[in-house]
Amino acid sequence: MIRLTDLTKRYGPTTAVDNLDLELRPGQVTGFLGPNGAGKSTTMRLILGLDAPTSGTALIGGTPYARLRHPLRTIGALLDAKAVHPGRTGRDHLRALARSQRIPAARVAEVLEIAGMTSAADRRAGTYSLGMSQRLGIAAALLGDPQALMLDEPVNGLDPDGVRWIRTLLRSLAAEGRTVFVSSHLMSEMEQTADRVVVLGRGRLVADEPMRDLLAAAPTGSLVRGPDLRPLAAAFAGAGYDHGTLVVPGVPPAEVGARAFALGVEIHGLQAAGSSLEDVYLRRTAAVAQFTSAPTTKETGR
Amino acid sequence: MSAGGRPPGLPDVLAAERIKLLTVRSTWWFAGGLVALLLLMTVLDDGADGPVPARSLTVGLTAVSYFGQYVVAAFGLLVVTGELATRSITVTFAATPSRGRVMLAKAVVTGVAALLLGSAAAALGIGTAAARHGELPRVIGDAAGQVAATGVYLGLLAVVALGVGALARRSAGALTCMVLLLLVLPELLRMAAGQVGAPFLETFAGWTPAPAGWRLMTGQWEYALVLAGWAVAAMGAAIGVLRARDA
Repeated sequence: MIRLTDLTKRYGPTTAVDNLDLELRPGQVTGFLGPNGAGKSTTMRLILGLDAPTSGTALIGGTPYARLRHPLRTIGALLDAKAVHPGRTGRDHLRALARSQRIPAARVAEVLEIAGMTSAADRRAGTYSLGMSQRLGIAAALLGDPQALMLDEPVNGLDPDGVRWIRTLLRSLAAEGRTVFVSSHLMSEMEQTADRVVVLGRGRLVADEPMRDLLAAAPTGSLVRGPDLRPLAAAFAGAGYDHGTLVVPGVPPAEVGARAFALGVEIHGLQAAGSSLEDVYLRRTAAVAQFTSAPTTKETGR
Repeated sequence: MSAGGRPPGLPDVLAAERIKLLTVRSTWWFAGGLVALLLLMTVLDDGADGPVPARSLTVGLTAVSYFGQYVVAAFGLLVVTGELATRSITVTFAATPSRGRVMLAKAVVTGVAALLLGSAAAALGIGTAAARHGELPRVIGDAAGQVAATGVYLGLLAVVALGVGALARRSAGALTCMVLLLLVLPELLRMAAGQVGAPFLETFAGWTPAPAGWRLMTGQWEYALVLAGWAVAAMGAAIGVLRARDA
């Protein structure tokens, strides 16, 4: 279990992580969302002890990272896929890493196989595409067969096959009872992978909820199909009509159907369209952007 | 969630750093370059007079002092600037959170590699020159001493460069610092000694790495301690800064 308590990191006048309290539980995939610069990567760096917190603590199973007896067997991390010496082969990179942890050399071949990197393992890392680098980074994270996985934007640069592979991998790791913490800016991807969503905005916790609750709480919209829905589209502000499909956000199907009936508009299909994680996320972070601007000005005023 | 088994220690980090050093091409380029330099000097040498009684011994000295030491400095600093530039240092520190242990392992591996490489290159260069001048039986004793001293000098110099690399972070900046330290600093101290009439500055100049290395290679073994002092100081500063700084 990973627990962050009052975690704060300032770089000069900038507060990258602001009083973050968070508990990551085993057996689930926790998705970590937030706009660029929200402090997601910094949080992960603080967990790994790469950056020292200004205040607060980050503990892994009750221990600060620097005091873990077997760091890579406890938590495997991928922070930056390109952080590999370009002149070294993927296999040698993993060999050195395994040796530093007393992990048997045979494990290197295993994780290369899991990551689908066996055929590219003997090429120099500088020749890898971003997707291949991500796979190598995930192989490195899995090297110690750790109880916790922490991945920063792992689907960046992956092809659709790779994206599906990551999703399946993360789901199965969580099903084995491991703690999985994964950041992404791809909402649709998160929606399919994460059990729980943690949203960060300007270094602050904006939301920390089960994915199901987060989506259920969002207002439902309607999706309508028909030959000519323009009169119906005109009846709702914010409705989007395009080639026989009408999307009406925030208005339930019963209301849309009643209006169509009243207007005499022919419809061929009417269904509920749940708000996507993206809608929810944008609404929440927009609210927080205003909310957090106050402390920032207070700080500069001091 | 703690895994069983003996936790990894310094020997494991040493083994990992050894793998890392031997699996990048630049290591082999530096090795080849140093050997080529020494051999080239034996061919170009036209009997310059030196402080030692045989021409073949002068060859090794001049080759290392004029060129070889810069090659070894570049080799040493690149061990750490390579990781800092690619950010792969974060992977290293995540695996081994003790930054002191990481740097100690790098120092041992880099120093030993430069020592072995420096000795081998010196042996090849001096041996070839001695054979060419027909001095081999006469100089064999002195040559063995100089080969060992050259190895020790270049080994310690590589560790100094490693420390400077960690302090400067960038290869270009670190290399500039090393040239200043090896070439410019002793000259500045000597000039200052003359200008202000302070002979102790002249003495200090002799303690900077390059003049100390020259003296070590000409058989004044006490200068190995001076160089060891430089290595310890550079590594101490490097470890202190790495600990204080976010990776």
